[in-house]
Amino acid sequence: MTSPSPDRPRVLIVDDDPAIRQGLQQVFVRSGFEAETASDAADMDRKLEQSGADLIVLDLMMPGEDGLSACRRLAAQGRPPIIVLSALGDDADRIVGLEVGADDYLSKPCNPRELVARARAVLRRVKDDDSVRGRGDVYRFAGFKLDCARRELLDPDGVLVALSGGEFRLLRAFVERPERVLTRDQLLDFAFSSDTDAFDRAVDVQVSRLRRKLDRPGAGELIRTVRGEGYVFAVRPKRG
Amino acid sequence: MKPPRPFAQGLPIAAHVALLIAAALLVTYVVNVGVIMGLPPRPPGVAPHRVVFDTFERGFAAAKAGKPLPRSDLGDFRIEDSPPRAAGPRPPFTRDFEALLAARLGAPRDGVAISFERPPADVVIYREVRQLSVRTHGGPPGLAPGAPHGSPPPPPPDTLRSLAPQSPEVRAVLEALGTTGASAPPAAPAPPEPPPPPRFEAPAKGVVFFARFVVSAQLPDGRWLVLRQRRTADDLAWLVTAVVAVGGAFAIALALGLVFAARLAAPIRRFADAAQRVGVDPRGEPVPEKGPKELRVAARAVNAMQDRLRSLVADRTEMLAAVAHDLRTPLMRMRLTAEAAEPAVRDALARDAEEIDALVASFIAFARDDPARDARVRLDVAALVQSVVDDHAAAGEPVRYEGEDRVVMTGQPLGLKRMVANLVDNAVRYGGEAQVRVGVAGGSVEIEVKDSGPGIPAERRGDVFEPFVRLAPDKASGAGLGLAVVRSVVRAHGGAVAIDDAPGGGARVRITLPL
Repeated sequence: MTSPSPDRPRVLIVDDDPAIRQGLQQVFVRSGFEAETASDAADMDRKLEQSGADLIVLDLMMPGEDGLSACRRLAAQGRPPIIVLSALGDDADRIVGLEVGADDYLSKPCNPRELVARARAVLRRVKDDDSVRGRGDVYRFAGFKLDCARRELLDPDGVLVALSGGEFRLLRAFVERPERVLTRDQLLDFAFSSDTDAFDRAVDVQVSRLRRKLDRPGAGELIRTVRGEGYVFAVRPKRG
Repeated sequence: MKPPRPFAQGLPIAAHVALLIAAALLVTYVVNVGVIMGLPPRPPGVAPHRVVFDTFERGFAAAKAGKPLPRSDLGDFRIEDSPPRAAGPRPPFTRDFEALLAARLGAPRDGVAISFERPPADVVIYREVRQLSVRTHGGPPGLAPGAPHGSPPPPPPDTLRSLAPQSPEVRAVLEALGTTGASAPPAAPAPPEPPPPPRFEAPAKGVVFFARFVVSAQLPDGRWLVLRQRRTADDLAWLVTAVVAVGGAFAIALALGLVFAARLAAPIRRFADAAQRVGVDPRGEPVPEKGPKELRVAARAVNAMQDRLRSLVADRTEMLAAVAHDLRTPLMRMRLTAEAAEPAVRDALARDAEEIDALVASFIAFARDDPARDARVRLDVAALVQSVVDDHAAAGEPVRYEGEDRVVMTGQPLGLKRMVANLVDNAVRYGGEAQVRVGVAGGSVEIEVKDSGPGIPAERRGDVFEPFVRLAPDKASGAGLGLAVVRSVVRAHGGAVAIDDAPGGGARVRITLPL
């Protein structure tokens, strides 16, 4: 796989609708990406073969091989990160997409600028830590189990503890970067989309909510405050 | 219960029952025949009169001599103060036997008493009466091969009357002998002269069998020696064996029946369980086509139904996906096209697209009734409600949460989230704000969503849960499916939902779900 070029990352847009392909291409190019298009999975394979890609935006319902199976196939190989862009926008569909190895999942119709922002976030994550791949990951720590595809947190009793979007993104940022001090700015960056008007204080509020959900008698504090700097996730989670 | 042996597995239920009946009958007959053939014959309950008399004579001699009474298989000797009272009727020949026994014992005639607890059969009377008649009254020798010696005295009418035959055969014989007249009524008064002591001899031929007898004779000290026949130990043992054998046969038949019933019931129970699973999730395992023929036919029918259900669900999922695809692809195109337009136009188009998308989403959410996609798990419903509230609050909506921190129940997380989100959406959209509370009361969770809007008129509270019912059609968006989805989620959890007025005004939706 080609390493992400810092200046102009290459994105491959796979969609059977020509107007959407063209529109997305323009949006990405305007945002400083190099954008190529493919009309189905076979075309995608050809384009990957020829020139590679730093990121794939993948439609699910296409003639020929459907997006889910293509995604599963690519995930088995060392493939570029994938953002699924699908007309099926149900929670259950999103879970399925993330479980087969997509790095992010957006449903049509979406705000094109949000898609670009998510694409940047995925690329940053890949650059940030090459081992952090796929959103279908499962992390275990202190008896808890975090399933990133399902956005589910199971507590030590096996009870599902629902997380809000902000809490989930924050916790994911922590478990992906354990035992490392994360500043409020970094957490804002990881955990909140660029379209959210979030403040430092919002991070503190989310952290305190998250702490309450992770609080179990007898267990130490999982998220520690580092005065003047930010927060640190105190245990190293096991993956898988 | 281990699976039935293959040999009878596929037979119809009727054949199973027939087999059971045949097996039970077989067992019963085998045991009955075994009882008859295998057990020793039942010891007779009768004894020849001579044996009885011999035994009694020995006992009498011992009693007179003051020696201990002999033991006997026939019965028990006892010494009593008075003669035993006859329990049963006295057969007419009894007096003759009493006289016979008295002669043997050398006792006075009225010092001897014989009685029976049950009268002997008529034929016995007949045979003996004939012999006694011949012996006593001296009939023609040709008629009595065992005729006694010496010429008998004239027939004492008393004896004749005492013999008063009960049956026509006996009477016929006696008449032929000319010893009694049919004209002479048995009730004729006794002649005054005392009867001469008859000369009795034991019949040379023929034996009288005594059953259930009580023989007694007065001892010189005035007390009575009594010999009562008892049921022998052999008899009891025989009875016990017979009862055990018959009871065993019953037990075997019963055990057979139970095994058969279990074998019949097990596949039916498995069938019911499998059918239940099919009803919950058509994609589950098919019902195994095993067991009796009728069950296999039923299982095939259920499996065919499951196939149809499965293809129906698949068709619907496919149809919904196609609808989603066909509606959302142009919406996406629209948003992309709008990117090129000036910001005001772009935002207006984006709003429209979002609105249409929300409609599409609510149709799909309502039409997609797919429990397998949303498994039931143990979940913290307080955290779930809070996460929905937080998401709305993060989007800048006036939503607040109060109440429990942690309430664990079993439920479908996606469905419950959608339910709470729909209620919060409604409250914010039509009531300006949402106050959400989770509480626990009496084994159930209460989820309450309040707003500060105009509330819902009492007469409409019933039908707002119907699909496509909208109370404010002039308000921009919505398909009227939000509360219908809420109701179907509540029902899937076995709960209840109701709407009333919040204490401070506004509408209040209250949901109770069993923990």
